[in-house]
Amino acid sequence: MTESALNRILQPGAITPVYQPIFRVAGTTAVIEGMECLSRGPKGTNFESAAVLFEYVRLKREESLVDRACIAAAFRGASLFPTSLRLGINVHASTLGRDHGFIPFLQSTAAATGIALTRVVIEIVEHAPPWDGLSFQSTLQQLRELGMAIALDDIGLGQSNFKMLLDVRPQFLKLDSYFVGGCSTDPHRRAVVTALRTLARDFDAEIVAEGVENAADANALQALGIALMQGFHFAHPLGADAVRDLCPA
Amino acid sequence: MLSEATRNQILIVDDEELIVLAMRRYFEGLGYTVDSAHELEEAQALLANRRYNLVIVDLRLTGIGGVEGLQIVSDIQQRSANTRVILLSAYGTPEIERESYNRGADAFLHKPKSMMEIANVAVNLMEQR
Repeated sequence: MTESALNRILQPGAITPVYQPIFRVAGTTAVIEGMECLSRGPKGTNFESAAVLFEYVRLKREESLVDRACIAAAFRGASLFPTSLRLGINVHASTLGRDHGFIPFLQSTAAATGIALTRVVIEIVEHAPPWDGLSFQSTLQQLRELGMAIALDDIGLGQSNFKMLLDVRPQFLKLDSYFVGGCSTDPHRRAVVTALRTLARDFDAEIVAEGVENAADANALQALGIALMQGFHFAHPLGADAVRDLCPA
Repeated sequence: MLSEATRNQILIVDDEELIVLAMRRYFEGLGYTVDSAHELEEAQALLANRRYNLVIVDLRLTGIGGVEGLQIVSDIQQRSANTRVILLSAYGTPEIERESYNRGADAFLHKPKSMMEIANVAVNLMEQR
């Protein structure tokens, strides 16, 4: 009988963090404003793919355990990054709703790695309940009181709907690549992006466009008033060493 | 987003490492690309993200007796009706075997079966595409 895959995933060092730069684009200038922390599972296994890793974790209903492991790895890797960089960490909505030890964990892990929580952006993923709505709201409030910003992932898709927008009141709305790819040539995609940008402004939030893969789409997004972008056009996800080379402290 | 289907992509779902290794070596030797999963949830996570030409499942892995253990067959068929499914079972009853075909399985093999017997069924199924 093979070792449980979950046990392998939770072994120290099994999760490899990578970081995708988020740029603030103005005209022809693009400045790195933050990093989205991404995770790769154990090398040489099916879980090296983030998509397979997190689908497995959700099927096992162990989002909180793995979220914690990913965050710990991300913070360790980011401990020598410039303190001006925001750090976006992905957290399942169910973790915020069910893991009552999550805030203390976040505080202790950030302190141990020298990461100021005011730099952290909590990117809420997989918003489908069931989880305790009151507990979820309480956790969000505590995160805000600690100075963290909140982002809603996959805006425009699935469960990332208007109800979540009202319940969460995020500072950032992460626009899914589905709406970004081809927006330069598709007026309907631009219409959706425009509507979401207007919505974001009414919520005093900013849009972060994900999956920007070419200059044409980047220019189209700028023309629509979107300044924050990430994607292969700007940079692929990088290891911690590569980030430190790119952004010396 | 699902990765592009390859004509010769096989998924083996079994928690016995030696069996997986034997099957992998055999099919890779025939030119097929092989993934393996040792848990049902691992298999489901792979199926959600990749497309397979053939899935071979040891029903014992479902840990569920009776027809409830056949849910994976329904799951596979929902994702891709073109994916062939071979079930391996040491304890299959006629009811389970019948229900497995009802759910879309292409072959139900009673263990023990030699590697050659399993491979013959697998290759025939894949060549029917």
